[in-house]
Amino acid sequence: MSALGAILAREARLAWAGGGGPAGPAAFFLGAITLAPLAIGPAADLLVAVGPGIMGFAALLSVLQSADRLFGDDHVDGTAELYLLSGVSLPGLVLAKVLGQASATLWPLPVIGLFGALMYGVPVLPACVGALALLAAIPALSLIAGFAGALAAGVRRSGLLIALIATPMMVPVLIFAAGAGRSALAGDERALANLLLTIAVSLATAALAPFGIVAAVRSRMG
Amino acid sequence: MLSYFSNPQRFDRLARTLIPVFGSLTVVLLGVGGWLALLGSPPDYQQGETIRIMYVHVPAAYMAMALYAALAVASFVYFVWRHALADTAAEIIAPIGALFTVLALFTGSLWGKPMWGTWWEWDARMTSVLVLLLVYLGYMALRAALEDAQQAARTGAVLAMAGIVNLVIVKFSVDWWSSLHQPASLIRLDGPTIHASQLWPLVIMILAYSFLAGWLVLYRLRSQALRRRARALQRQRDQAARQREEAVS
Repeated sequence: MSALGAILAREARLAWAGGGGPAGPAAFFLGAITLAPLAIGPAADLLVAVGPGIMGFAALLSVLQSADRLFGDDHVDGTAELYLLSGVSLPGLVLAKVLGQASATLWPLPVIGLFGALMYGVPVLPACVGALALLAAIPALSLIAGFAGALAAGVRRSGLLIALIATPMMVPVLIFAAGAGRSALAGDERALANLLLTIAVSLATAALAPFGIVAAVRSRMG
Repeated sequence: MLSYFSNPQRFDRLARTLIPVFGSLTVVLLGVGGWLALLGSPPDYQQGETIRIMYVHVPAAYMAMALYAALAVASFVYFVWRHALADTAAEIIAPIGALFTVLALFTGSLWGKPMWGTWWEWDARMTSVLVLLLVYLGYMALRAALEDAQQAARTGAVLAMAGIVNLVIVKFSVDWWSSLHQPASLIRLDGPTIHASQLWPLVIMILAYSFLAGWLVLYRLRSQALRRRARALQRQRDQAARQREEAVS
């Protein structure tokens, strides 16, 4: 357990030291939700309607934005091989690794998502539901990004490849997370169902994805 | 049985008999099915002549999914038993499946315009097929990006197997999404069970597409196996020549 804790702490420290911690995804998220109204147009009712959806979509993109670092660096500098030799339970190890990085870099997403939704004119309650759904979606999103990142580790321009691989896998969690905000906005009772389904997808991903990530890391070893 | 056919020579013999059989069945069935679909069947009482698009659309959609299932099975066989032939099969099934997916989307769009009045409708089924296309593209891109053949094979197998789990979840979630998203205004095609005069051309076309896919897969699988063998022979010859040169000098 202490080994897993050490890995979690290492990932969090690395994220702060090497990549500016949460600044990268947060800035990307902020940029995306600033540009969207400029493309859609300033019509207030339209912005309210698309607000929860844009928050989910932009959050997904900003998770993808930092996905190549997670396993790419370890693959290149040989840390991944040491992990395989370490004797620590590998699924637990990759889970700690992904969640360590996610907790260090992705925590601003629900906060920005909340304020962003308010700026789009979404009422407070649906905005809060949307932000909660984003928080619930982060484990699933980052584990899927980690899986794609482990498959494409060390490949040149892996960012594009990761985006292409991860996009279809993120469809369910995007549907439920953005759906929670949208149905809360519509005053629909399905908001709670969507929120619970988001949590369910995150838990299921946390149960399955570590094994996939381990298989992916192994498959990339010579 | 798997190891029986993973022997390259045995596979080659099997493929050499099956390729012409599949090829001629494809030609005959496409001919008969095409005639029945375009001329020999009555127009639909609701959809008129546009129902004929169904005979090229439904088999394509079916093949798009069946080939992904085949891709996942081949990947599983490679992942567990490490049969090189299974990996080659997975590698060549992907572009063929992607092509059928594009065909399904394209013909669906052509059918949707006169029927629904729109080229594209974000309903559950069309969206799932679009996601399926992305899965195919991601698989092919990953294989293309990895230079080491063995890494490409193993990594591709992991992705293809994860893809099948994902596609099942996508199907459910997209159904949920589209029920949340849309009123029940969609013109559905299920309705009454299909009439025999339309069923037969459809069944024949599905068989024709299946044999076409089987033909393409076997043909490319055999070419790929031959190419691999030719490369190995070339390498052996080069090596022998080098050794002779070294012996002379």
